[in-house]
Amino acid sequence: MNKKTWPKSNADACIRCTTCMAVCPVSRVTPKFPGPKQAGPAAARFRRPGEPSADDWIDLCIGCHLCDMVCSSGVNVSELNLIAKAKYLDEKGRPFRDWLLTHSYLWGQLGSFFSPLINLLFKNPVIKWMGEVILKIDRRRELPGYEFLTFRQWFNRKPTKGNPKIAYFYGCYTNTNEVDVGKATVQVLEANGFEVTLPPQRCCGIAMLGNGDFKGAKKMARYNIPSLLNTIHSGSKIVFSSTSCGHMIKHQYSHLLSIPSAEEVAQHLFDVFEFLRNLKESNSLNTHFKELSLKAAYFTPCHLRALGMGIPALEILRLIPGLQIDQIEADCCGMGGTFGFKKEKYEISEEIGKDLKEAIDRLNPEMILTDCEGCRIQIRHLTGLKVLHPIQILRDALQNDG
Amino acid sequence: MKIKAEVLIIGGGATGVGISRDLALRGIPSVLIEKGDFASGASGRNHGLFHSGGRYAVSDPEAAHECISENKILRRIAPHCIEETDGFFISLPEEGLDYRERFLRACEKVGIQTTLLSRDEALEQEPELNPNLLSAVRVPDGAIDPFALVLGNAKDAEEHGAKILLHTEIISLILNGDKVKGAKVKDLYQGEEYFVEASYIINATGAWASQTLKLAGLPIGMALSKGSMLITNRRLTHRVINRCRPPFDGDIIVPNHTVSILGTTSIRLEEVENFEVTPHEVSLLIQETSKMIPAIQGTRLIRAYAGIRPLFQSEEKGDDRAISRGFVLMDHEKRDGIKNLVTITGGKLMTYRLMAEKTSDLICKKMGTNVPCSTHSKPLPGANRPTGLTERLKQFTTDRGEVLCDCELIQKEEVKALLEKEKLKNFQDILHRTRLAKGTCQGGFCVYRLFGLLHELRKIEGDSNKILKGFLEERWKGIRPVLWGTALKEEELIESIYKGIFNL
Repeated sequence: MNKKTWPKSNADACIRCTTCMAVCPVSRVTPKFPGPKQAGPAAARFRRPGEPSADDWIDLCIGCHLCDMVCSSGVNVSELNLIAKAKYLDEKGRPFRDWLLTHSYLWGQLGSFFSPLINLLFKNPVIKWMGEVILKIDRRRELPGYEFLTFRQWFNRKPTKGNPKIAYFYGCYTNTNEVDVGKATVQVLEANGFEVTLPPQRCCGIAMLGNGDFKGAKKMARYNIPSLLNTIHSGSKIVFSSTSCGHMIKHQYSHLLSIPSAEEVAQHLFDVFEFLRNLKESNSLNTHFKELSLKAAYFTPCHLRALGMGIPALEILRLIPGLQIDQIEADCCGMGGTFGFKKEKYEISEEIGKDLKEAIDRLNPEMILTDCEGCRIQIRHLTGLKVLHPIQILRDALQNDG
Repeated sequence: MKIKAEVLIIGGGATGVGISRDLALRGIPSVLIEKGDFASGASGRNHGLFHSGGRYAVSDPEAAHECISENKILRRIAPHCIEETDGFFISLPEEGLDYRERFLRACEKVGIQTTLLSRDEALEQEPELNPNLLSAVRVPDGAIDPFALVLGNAKDAEEHGAKILLHTEIISLILNGDKVKGAKVKDLYQGEEYFVEASYIINATGAWASQTLKLAGLPIGMALSKGSMLITNRRLTHRVINRCRPPFDGDIIVPNHTVSILGTTSIRLEEVENFEVTPHEVSLLIQETSKMIPAIQGTRLIRAYAGIRPLFQSEEKGDDRAISRGFVLMDHEKRDGIKNLVTITGGKLMTYRLMAEKTSDLICKKMGTNVPCSTHSKPLPGANRPTGLTERLKQFTTDRGEVLCDCELIQKEEVKALLEKEKLKNFQDILHRTRLAKGTCQGGFCVYRLFGLLHELRKIEGDSNKILKGFLEERWKGIRPVLWGTALKEEELIESIYKGIFNL
């Protein structure tokens, strides 16, 4: 990694106001992580390119970006951390477990095909015990099951309809583990008169980046960007339903990974609810909602906040008659993508989630809605409640049972 | 009250404590008095360059030779105070390569090892350098922690029987015929005045040498040359960067722990106290040093400070840089007929040990003893302690408790241990012995936390509001010359803390 490819470090701009220390979910629950100010701009004064990393706590940064958002001086704290983490892990070496967790796209197809067996194995206590002992994947974590028919397979068997075209970046997890999120996205877009297309795509690489594997993440970006660029040049906009994939492509590809043309792609890439909100603002949103009598609570994923677009899902969901939706007052669920699966981080992850769980208990909803798959995994784990992507509820409200 | 001393040393800079240690190792007891803390003068107010001698090779070969031989000795006896970074003398297109040729020849003559590097080689090692540079010459420069060096000498001197009295000022020298009987001194803490009777007296007061001699009615000609320096928030280069041209303003960048120091200017002063860094000097230093490292134009500065070079002169000369940086050992027996008084001044931090050796030799000669010097071979206490930034970050990792200083990553326990071990009365003395208040915020945030700790340990003496105000005024003096942009923003925050919350 040569010097020029890093974004400009503006650690000098830190005025030590400590606001970031107040929001950091990790340093709030563990003294092992010194917090954004000290891990970022303060430690940056001590790090030397030629010398080995000394800061093994850097691996505890969960990558929520909350510090960046609250910084009064625009310091890219989480990027400083991520770059330091990459250096630390490059030197120390990554465990096989991290490779497994960040390359799940490689066996998604296989997982789908053998899902009846694999899902059974994933629930087996002996397998989970072995996973913990051998791989250090915490056995208290439920492993997400695969679905037999992938989203892409479902899509290809479905008749196309509508005009104009809109492209969809669905992400790996939707494709093999939560197919209904993809279906719901397509159905909502079709209900608004669009023809959905699926441009060639691979894993966005966010898990690799989060684990400090810049090389792996760049490989993904170099595949995705030309494909998405083609789509844009053919005159189509692109939407995503996973805020994590969205943040990765829209922000990190250009900013942190310096992928050529990523900036252009970012300008034509929208969160699905942001896209729907734009339709609403031009009075072209399909609002023929049926009444849903449901008490739900909405949680804002960190990466959605980092995208800086407000909370479009909440704005749209509030149009649905009968749907009572409260916003959950809590920061960061604590999952951090692959973070929460790791044995050495499981307890931190759960401790961070405590606030969220308490906030949910107070609201006492029937169901939780949130745009990020990581958050959904964590909230299911913490509360045992049903957790969906808001697009699934919107689809339900648009479906006419007759 | 009256104390008796074999030798009285006046001045607690590098030279004074160096003499104290040298004599102690020879078995000669001494008393040292210092009106402030250790290294309050030029010893503590310099750019911390561990000279190879390269800077003087062309203009002052004798000083250069002294530097390189002390360089080799100090690496052995004080490795914990030195960062062996090496230094570059870079040639820029403005000057061409004429000086470089003279420089290389002069270095060879005095025995300074040089390696010529091409532009690309230099840039590969120091990517922040001006990409238009023509070449770089590598010399064995480095960075030295002057305070640690002085403290190490003082500690070893005390362990070998020397007595050191800080915050003790000289009031008068009492003459008796062809001898100085002793000195009347004042304990600045207790306010008590007393007499120190001594067989021999050494004036090691640096820039104050002339003032001290006035007390005995023996003034000497001193040129006081102010050198101003700027501190950046982050370390810009690993190596010392010098400009390969005749010595001039803004021709050196010295790495020092987490920061880089940009130096220096040279301005003649009439007075030895009450001086400050002027806006003109700040602009000049930025303008000149950024020719070597363009990033300096946009980098954040955290402090400006100045020191006074104690230059001895026999007659008036125009340019202070032309006065030799060699030291002057003055035997007042020969000069003024005062048998037991010696003045040592001029010189550099780099040659403090040699200056101490020569002074102690002279004292021994006067005493009629013949014990050889051993400071060149005996390491200072703590000489094998690890140093360096990575080491600090690692310490922070392994035993991180409550943090006092966010900028320099200093833990409460570390400071607590120091306070419990040493009898420190003065607030500034505590700051001198840690890296508190040396980072980005210059003590804005850690100092009030330190007060909390002092109260917890019941260590604070006097009016804390007054001490805090004193600190803030001193801090303000250093910050004001470089206050713009981000620093100004941070200063607003700090001001609101002290004025708004602490109601100072």
